[in-house]
Amino acid sequence: MAELRIEHVGKDHGATRVLGDVSITVADGELLVLVGPSGCGKSTLLRCIAGLEELSRGAILMDGADITRAEPRDRDIAMVFQSYALYPHLTVRDNLAFGLKMRKTPKEEIARRLGEAAEMLGLEKLLDRRPAQLSGGQRQRVAMGRAVVRRPKVFLFDEPLSNLDAALRGQMRVELMRLHQRLSATMVYVTHDQVEAMTLADRIAVLNAGALMQVGAPSELYTRPANLFVAKFIGTPEMNVIDARAAEACRLTAALPRQVASVGVRAEDLRLAPGGVGAQVDVVEHLGAEALVHLRVEMIELTARVEAQAVPRSGERVQVAIDPARLHLFDAQGARVDTPQSTVDSPRIGTAKP
Amino acid sequence: MIATSLLLATQLVVWHSYRADEQKALEQCVAVWNRAHADVQVEALALPYDGFASKLEAAIPRGNGPDLVIFGHSAIGDWARAGLIVPLHINDDAIAQFLDGTVEPLRQNGQLWGAPLAFKSLALFYRKDLVAHPPATTDELVALAKQVKATEPAGHYALAYEAGASFYHAPWLHGFGGRLLDDAGKPALDSPGAVASAAFIESLAAAELLPPESTGVVAAQLFNDGRAALTINGPWFVGEIARGVPFGVAPLPTVSATGKPAAPLVEIEAVLMPARGHAPEAAAAFALWLAGGEAARIRARIGRQTVAARAAWDDPEIARDPILSAFRAQLAATVPMPSSPAIRQVWEPLNQALRKVLRGATSARPAMLEAQKRVVEALRPPPPRAPGAPYALLFGVVLVGAAAWAWRRGRAAGGLPAARAQSAAYAYLAPAAIAMIVLVFVPFAVGAGMSLFWHDAGHWTFIGLRNFADILASRDAPVTDPLSFYFTLAVTALWTVTNVALHVIIGVTLALLLRDPLLKLRGVYRVILIVPWAVPNYITALIWKGMFQRQFGAINGLLAAVGLHPISWFSRFWTAFAANVATNVWLGFPFMMVVTLGALSRIPKELEEAAALDGATRWQRLRHVVLPLLKPALLPSVLLGAVWTFNMFNIVFLVSGGEPDGATDILVSQAYRWAFTRGHRYGYAAAYAVLIFALLAAQTFFAPKEETAS
Repeated sequence: MAELRIEHVGKDHGATRVLGDVSITVADGELLVLVGPSGCGKSTLLRCIAGLEELSRGAILMDGADITRAEPRDRDIAMVFQSYALYPHLTVRDNLAFGLKMRKTPKEEIARRLGEAAEMLGLEKLLDRRPAQLSGGQRQRVAMGRAVVRRPKVFLFDEPLSNLDAALRGQMRVELMRLHQRLSATMVYVTHDQVEAMTLADRIAVLNAGALMQVGAPSELYTRPANLFVAKFIGTPEMNVIDARAAEACRLTAALPRQVASVGVRAEDLRLAPGGVGAQVDVVEHLGAEALVHLRVEMIELTARVEAQAVPRSGERVQVAIDPARLHLFDAQGARVDTPQSTVDSPRIGTAKP
Repeated sequence: MIATSLLLATQLVVWHSYRADEQKALEQCVAVWNRAHADVQVEALALPYDGFASKLEAAIPRGNGPDLVIFGHSAIGDWARAGLIVPLHINDDAIAQFLDGTVEPLRQNGQLWGAPLAFKSLALFYRKDLVAHPPATTDELVALAKQVKATEPAGHYALAYEAGASFYHAPWLHGFGGRLLDDAGKPALDSPGAVASAAFIESLAAAELLPPESTGVVAAQLFNDGRAALTINGPWFVGEIARGVPFGVAPLPTVSATGKPAAPLVEIEAVLMPARGHAPEAAAAFALWLAGGEAARIRARIGRQTVAARAAWDDPEIARDPILSAFRAQLAATVPMPSSPAIRQVWEPLNQALRKVLRGATSARPAMLEAQKRVVEALRPPPPRAPGAPYALLFGVVLVGAAAWAWRRGRAAGGLPAARAQSAAYAYLAPAAIAMIVLVFVPFAVGAGMSLFWHDAGHWTFIGLRNFADILASRDAPVTDPLSFYFTLAVTALWTVTNVALHVIIGVTLALLLRDPLLKLRGVYRVILIVPWAVPNYITALIWKGMFQRQFGAINGLLAAVGLHPISWFSRFWTAFAANVATNVWLGFPFMMVVTLGALSRIPKELEEAAALDGATRWQRLRHVVLPLLKPALLPSVLLGAVWTFNMFNIVFLVSGGEPDGATDILVSQAYRWAFTRGHRYGYAAAYAVLIFALLAAQTFFAPKEETAS
């Protein structure tokens, strides 16, 4: 297990800047999730950590040792690929044992670790099969097993659940969390799905167009997004972002400082109660225990999360109010503006964790 | 008036294969005749020499043949027997107008078959700037050769000629008192005279008085370069002599040991009369005129022919010509080319014996004895006719069985209504099916059928499976002899395995190197490596053959440049085999390389990345991930390559030519020789072909199947 320090890492691909200047420290035993939209550079960063791509700038240190120029095989890192990358011509057993064989590990040691990993991931019955004879979830577990037997310092995961269907994805997420707990390993996990990020991570690093937007615990990103991008990226449904002047004009908010250009409010922080501003209910999405109510206040569109009992009907006129303490303020560049009002002490995280 | 007479004129067509000056001379003769004979108009038609005989054989029986044909007298034997030509009547006075020795060869079975136009034989060419007087005896020749060897730099010779060819050796054979065929038409290669002639050239070669590996091209080159003072060649050689070389022609020397002149074979070019001509009298008249003095003068002057008519030699211009006179002088000491079919079986064994002797591999007597044995064996009578009934019965049973099976399959698949419902599909298949049937199945069936027959000069005898029995029992030769099926099979197997292994190793290695992104200019390298594939392999083979040539080849030049001794590549099995392999590998590795590149591109990059992270070095990644995944992709190509290599006729035939003595021949080139070199044994060769097919079919059937797991 090891601490991983990514210092001012940059990567250019020809004329394109894939990664700008990214610095993150992954603590020993931490599960860091790199999340962001397609093309943000998260996979590239992961591959740089693995040594599969060369850095243009910066350094990567593991436990203080500079591994920037080291070969992938010398970095003591294991990676689980999106496509699993299992050796099709080998059995599951040989797949698992491959890395150990390459490093000339004695046979008894291989057998022991194999047994351990197989038990950990439920692979005992599959050991003599070939990858072609396994289901997607089974292949995923074999890929993880292959990483586990090596007992590396750092685990890397490159969107490992993207190829699975929704139900399986949920199951595997839980398995991964269990694995993390059991091994207490340092893990770097890449995904484009912010739900995965929120559930799995100890800390999340949000990337956009090669730049680091914010690093922090899921709750912190949720309750105190550092910029508009993170605010809109994290959380389902997307945070309601309103032009500040329009919000003032509709009386949704009180007068705001001049520097504030836009305000954000989460769906669960909108209250449908008398005493607010008049709004027209557009569409209602019923989710069972609650509903998403799409409203219109003059020209502004908002989405509110409402409990099932209090759900209005489409077309109804209701009143909506925003708790000023729950407002997120952003300046013209999209950066967070902190005012005495917006201290968030009791995080209401909504339906983030299932 | 003239028009009517032209309409009523007899039209005669004459076929010939003359070129250049000879063709001009003939056309001039025809013009002269046509002017003088309004009632008989002649047309001369030039045909390529190669297809001449077969064209005649095809056209004459149908009545489409010419009225006259100009050809060498040695064809008379076959054509007379086949009824393609009829005798030509010339009365005794007319015969007297021809030189001695030009009419007798045209007489067979007591009848005269043509009118002699010209005679062609070998003679001695000499360079006037290197020898004042050409040697008159073999002792003088040997003395001159020794002198040249002692005083001139290496690579200079007194005499250079195609010593390993029977035709060019014949003068010595006759000079030592031997004959190719005796009076009864049987081969006489083991006679004392024949053996003595072989011993003669053996002694020349042993004393290094002859250039090693002397082909016609090499001899001509040496003569033109001034590195050989003498050469033995025919009138056609005049055109190959370089401009400015002062040369003369003289009769061949006398053999000192016997006092007999070295007598070359002579071919009498004659006008022959095909059967079924529509105007035999007019044709005969023209034939005699063409052979006679007036036309002969034209042919001698314009065509530079050594004509048979005496009168032409009275012409001072022709009599004074030194070259023509020399050939005429040689005529007195010539032996007519035998025209019996037996002679065809003599060439190859005698060639082999001569080459062996020249190489120093055997001495004269055993070589000639072996050659004699081979010729006798080749002339053995055909096997007895086999009863056709059992075969017909078997064939009938198979046919009925196949029909029944096909009918049941058709019924199981839905019968006629189902077929009608899919008529569109059948329509789409029809053109390809028809093409396949016509181009593949029918020839195959005909070839397979041919293997049940014995062919001899146009006569087919049904002998059942006798050909197969003879081949598989190795009747022609012991198993260790190159003529044996098993020897050739072993060589072919070795050839296939060696080539395919090298193709795969080199192709895969280069593909792995090419895909490395560190290699700059990848595109350029790719093109250069594909060039061998793009050049037609016939040309490649000839270029490589030239490179392996003993005296002038590039390979020996390279060896000499680094101080190594030049190798006579084609005189030993392993070096000749290596030369063939080198050529074929150069030709074949691009295919494997391209297939491998394609297969490599389908291996996901992530597999190698995962292996790298797992701790595998580049070599381990190659061995444990890339190569195992490459195997199933390469397997079909390897199989295909094996089949192609097994049948690679071009390279083996063109590069080593089967040297030494047929040892490097593979099954398919042996089959070729049985069909076209050793007396047209088509049935035997067809049996060879069927066996080759059976072997390859078995190989494909038993090849490892691809794994179906993805």
